[in-house]
This record gives sequence, structure tokens and C-alpha cells, in this order.
Amino acid sequence: MSPVHFIAVPLFAAFLIPLIGKVSKELVKIIPGIVLLYLSYLSISLFPIGVNRPIVEIIAGFNPPFGITLYYGPIAAFLTTLITLVGFVIWLYSYKFIIREPTEKYYMLFMMLITGSTGIVLTGDIFNLFVFFEITSIAAYSLTAFLRDRDGAEAAFKYLLIGSFASTFFLLAIAIIYANIHTLNLADIASKIKDIPLTTRLFILILIIIGLGIESEMFPLNGWAPDAYSQAPSPVGAVFGGIVVKAAIYSLMRIIFLMFHTADVLHFLVVMGVITLLIAEMSAMKQQQIKRMLAFSSIGQMGLVIIAFGVGTEPSVRAAMFQMFNHALIKSLLFFAAGYLVFHSGSKKISALDGLGHDKPITSFFFAFGALAIIGLPPFSGFWSKLYILLSVADAGLMVPVVLILISSIIEAVYYLRVVSRLYFYKEEATDVRRTPVSGLVAMGILTVVILIVGFYPNLILHWMTPAANDLLDKAAYIKFGLFH
Amino acid sequence: MIYYITSILLVLIGMYAVLVKKNLIKIVIGLSIVDNGIHLLLIAIGYVKNGTAPIFSKAGLQPNQMVDPVPQALVLTAIVIGLAVTAVALSLIIRLYDHHKTLNINKIRKLKW
Repeated sequence: MSPVHFIAVPLFAAFLIPLIGKVSKELVKIIPGIVLLYLSYLSISLFPIGVNRPIVEIIAGFNPPFGITLYYGPIAAFLTTLITLVGFVIWLYSYKFIIREPTEKYYMLFMMLITGSTGIVLTGDIFNLFVFFEITSIAAYSLTAFLRDRDGAEAAFKYLLIGSFASTFFLLAIAIIYANIHTLNLADIASKIKDIPLTTRLFILILIIIGLGIESEMFPLNGWAPDAYSQAPSPVGAVFGGIVVKAAIYSLMRIIFLMFHTADVLHFLVVMGVITLLIAEMSAMKQQQIKRMLAFSSIGQMGLVIIAFGVGTEPSVRAAMFQMFNHALIKSLLFFAAGYLVFHSGSKKISALDGLGHDKPITSFFFAFGALAIIGLPPFSGFWSKLYILLSVADAGLMVPVVLILISSIIEAVYYLRVVSRLYFYKEEATDVRRTPVSGLVAMGILTVVILIVGFYPNLILHWMTPAANDLLDKAAYIKFGLFH
Repeated sequence: MIYYITSILLVLIGMYAVLVKKNLIKIVIGLSIVDNGIHLLLIAIGYVKNGTAPIFSKAGLQPNQMVDPVPQALVLTAIVIGLAVTAVALSLIIRLYDHHKTLNINKIRKLKW
């Protein structure tokens, strides 16, 4: 029982899957589920320990700051739980969705994505963070091109070009940090960052924002996202929106709060968040394809999270974490439902969805449910996180962002309800005899139930957000535990 | 100093190739050149003139005469990652070529940025 399992077990499974594929195709599909079930169990059982006192795991016997450490604090506990649980639901959905060969490649890359994302969340070493980022990115590039069609390859290449440029910038930032203070441990960097001259520090900050902002879908670095989301298979869209982006945004915020926690940087985050939010929502409005619309909506939600992190008070960070949790669940549900809607209608276009609400009532219901939840209507969980974000931003006296968030919520409501109304209030006689498989329905059902429960009892989750928010804001504790554990 | 200048030059040449060239393979070559520039920068950071390997092999060897081993370990890892990215990029280019029969990026762009 140690946090290392979060990285080691899925990585081992990823390497094992191609070998097992030679023996049995069915086993390839089952193994990721077992791995994710084990990791979910592990994360839930480690959760109370990590929240109580951060677990610092020393790898390879070198004490920090020299060796690589894993830092399993409240945020890491929360995010690994989120990643493994959402990952498990995505696996459940993929079980019947990914029937196209080669399945073992899909599951191998999926396991790599889980490895990379949990690694990003857990690591306490900046170069290790870079390595996990690359593991995640390379798996993500390949999954984008999984369907072997023309647009898939193009979207993947675009993603790869932007992504590898970003990682180059991040590596450059690491090189400059190392040249100045000769350490790679995040806690150690945080305690010595003041030794770096101000101009150099600013340069490092710009490099890091470019390097990590691309995976976090921050404006204007998110050009890859709509293509990658819409060309990848639907469960992969859920992986990107539910897991990868969450890990990326966490790492960006962790580094900013550890190294560059000043009022100016936080203001900059708020401004970038607002721009990201508005541009993404307006772009989502004019999309013709449902998955591109969901991708832009996902970018917009990340903008909202960035605003809440940028406000930088304890309630706002708590609200941001809560919004990340809700978005991971709701956006996965929307991608799941959209995946089967696209499958049944045979087209990615929104206009092809007319009247599917009568033909495929259950899948359409799940989509409508997710749409209402993400707009932020009560009694769904999305309502609470949006409310808390608005309250905390207003508390900080930032009225302009509050107004802009409200305006963007209206835009969001318009384009989601447009799709929902097409599902239900248009008549179309085309009937598709294919059924939505049970595993897909179960996956969507689980998410629906969780969204409803959290909607009625938000304190179940919010209760755990307070230590997580403190973990992010309290730099001294991170340094203390990270270096002297 | 020469190493720093060379590494910055390499990064700039690579960026020029990525941003200006229209051929997909040249773009990937540009990415590799940027990578190599940063690897050289990392090595230059740890370099000590007339330094030895960081092993206490002779009596009276001081730590400040040794080359810093950490950047070299980083570069080894980064080279492996760069290799993987290049391999994925080239395989995507093969697939793009199969579909479009061209490597010119202007003729391929169908999806909007």
C-alpha cells in the first residue's frame, strides 16, 4: 500500500497488454478494468491518510532534495481518486464502444494516459513532471489518431506539433531553473526561488505558462483541443476532458502557487481565464459538430477553473477544485452520450440529431441530463460549484469577471439547450435498430447518480476540498513535508 | 560560452524550420533541432572545463573538478522522449501522406485552427 502503485501498476499493465493480446483478446479488455478497480480501491483507502498528513514516498533511496519523491497530499489524494474513478467509468464505457481493432493498442495507450496523469499529480520533482507530461502527451497524440482516418491523423499531427513545442519550452524552463539553483525538487525550488534574479524568474514563468498552459487549454494555446477532441474516439474525448486536463491544470497551479505566488501573476491568471472562457463559449456557440461544441465547452469550463484559481483565496480555490470534480463527471457523461448519439445518427453534425430523443430515449436523456448539469441548474452538482465560484469571485471584489461569467453561462445555456431541443422537439422518422450497449448505459448511469447525489449533498465533496485548498495555498507546509517529510 | 551561443542558435534554427517550412518532414527535423539545442544547453550548464567524471577515482579529487552528472541524466531521458515524439510524428506523416499524397502543409489543412 503505497502511492507508487498509482504509477507502477498501470505502467506495468500497459506493457503487459500487447503480450496478453497474443493470448486472448478478451483478457486485454478486462485487465484495464481490474487495474483501475484496484487503483480506485487503493486511492479510497489511502485518501484519509493522505488528507491527514501528506505521504512523501522516496524512490530509489536518495533523500530529497536529491532523489525523486512522490508527494501524496490532500490534493493529490483527491485528484488520484478522481482520475482512477473516472478512468474506471471510462473503461466501462469503452468495453463495448471500442470494438474496432486493434483493441490492445487502445487499452495500452489508455493505461499510459492513466500512468501519466497520476504521475503528474503525484510527483514532487519538476523533471519527473516533464517526463510524465511527455508520457501523457505521446499517448494522447496516438489516441487522437486511433481511428486511422484522414482528419484523425491531421488533428493528431497538429496536436503533436503544438504539444512538443510546449514541452520544449517547459524543458528550457527546467534547464534555466537548474542552472540557477541546482535543484529539481519542487519543494526545494520553492524555498530557493527567491535566489533567482527577477527578470530570469519572469522568463521562467512565461516558459512554464506556455509549456503547461497548452495541455491546460488556456487561451491562446488551445488550438489543438477542438480537433483532437472531435477526431478521437468518444471515450478518449472523455479521457482528455475528464482526466488529462485536470492533471495538467493542477500541475500549472501547483507550480504557480509554489514559485510565483504574487498578486500580479494571479491577476494575470484571472484575465487569461476570463478570455479563455468568453472566447471558448462564443466559439462553441457557432459549432456545427457536437463533439467540437463539447470541446469548446470544455475549454470554457477550464477558463472558469483558471479564474477561480487566479482569485487565490481559500474559498475560491476550494470552488475551483469542486468545479474540476464536477466537470470531470459531467463532461465525461456528455461525451459518452454524444458518442452514442453520433453513432446512432451516423453523423457528427448537430443537425443530424433531430428527433433522436424519441428514437433513443435513454441516451438522449443522459445527454439532456448532462447538459442541464453543466449549465449549472439546481439540483445538479454543477450548480453548486458555479455558485461557489461566483460567490468567491464576488467576495474578492472582482465584479467584472462575475458579470462575464454570468454572460458566458447564458451563452452556454443557449447552445446546450439548442442541442437538447433538437433531440426532443424535432420530428424525424429515421430509426436506428442498433441498441446502445448495456456497459455504456451502466457507465452513464453511474455518472448520473453521482452527479445527482453530489447535487443534493454538495458537502460530501466540499468537506474534502478544504484541506485540498489549503494544501495548494500553504507553500510552507509543502516545503516542510516535501524536504523533511 | 561557445556552447551557450551554439545551443541558442540551434534552438532558433529549429524554430525557424518549424514556423516557416511547409514540408512536414522538414517541420519534424526542425523540432528535433530545437530539442538538440536544449540538450546542448543542459549539458553546457553542467560542464566544467577539464573536469572529470563524478567518481572519486583518484586521491585528492575535489567535487568542483567534477562534471555535474544531473544534466547528463536529464539529457539522456530527454533524448529518449525526443526519439519517441519523432517516431510518432513520422508515423503520422506517413498516414497523412497516404491520405493526401502530398507533404505540403498548406494542401493538407482541412480542419480549422
